[in-house]
Amino acid sequence: MDGQRRCYRRLLRLYPRSYRERFADSMEQTFADLRRERVGHAFVIWIFVETFAGVVRERATDLARWTMVRNAADVFRLVKYLALAVGGLTVAGIVTVMVLARGTGEDITGVVAPALLLVALSVVTAVVAAIFQRRGRREPVSR
Amino acid sequence: MAGTKALTPAVLHILLALSAQERHGYGIMKQVESDSQGKVRMGPGTLYGSIRRMTEAGLIRESDRKIDPHLDDERRVYYGITARGQQALATELRRYRQVVAVAHERSLLPEGA
Repeated sequence: MDGQRRCYRRLLRLYPRSYRERFADSMEQTFADLRRERVGHAFVIWIFVETFAGVVRERATDLARWTMVRNAADVFRLVKYLALAVGGLTVAGIVTVMVLARGTGEDITGVVAPALLLVALSVVTAVVAAIFQRRGRREPVSR
Repeated sequence: MAGTKALTPAVLHILLALSAQERHGYGIMKQVESDSQGKVRMGPGTLYGSIRRMTEAGLIRESDRKIDPHLDDERRVYYGITARGQQALATELRRYRQVVAVAHERSLLPEGA
């Protein structure tokens, strides 16, 4: 392998990993093809510059995607904790009502039933948010 | 990408290059240059970046690794246009035709064009 191809291979290492794993071999092949059929130092320099611009573009794209994924994960985490807080406060409310109503013979079903429904909804929301939060973290992000 | 949004010149030329047959990266590059009479020159950075976005958008698909008998004995990844890609290309070409029609109406095109 000649020096220019080696340098080009090094340049390709700057691409994000997922991109590199998928396209680096093909790009190196294309570089070899271009050099076989066209001559001139200016042309080789142009390929290096153009490829470097591609590196910057792909890095920026990956960074933007990564930021979006992170933001989504943060939002789901917030939703999860809010749902848990609502559920916890509601349970505390139910317990308080039950303690206060003990021995009075008062029917508290009308208060407790909707509160229990709210607790169930909060738990479901928290679980769903946790799943999405984890999925957001697992999203393939190449460095 | 396949909707109402206009295609970028690189995407349009790649779709055009793949409209007749499957090609590998260098084959696409040469076809783009030939289709544009040498006016559009695409480097590997632009080409493979566009290929990545186009495969993600479902406009083209990766085909098998094959040997190009005209080049060497290395196996290469070939790309082909999808039905969605053909639709996007047709939509874009219709848009171009409308633009040319407007230019004709306003006598903006030079004689013989």
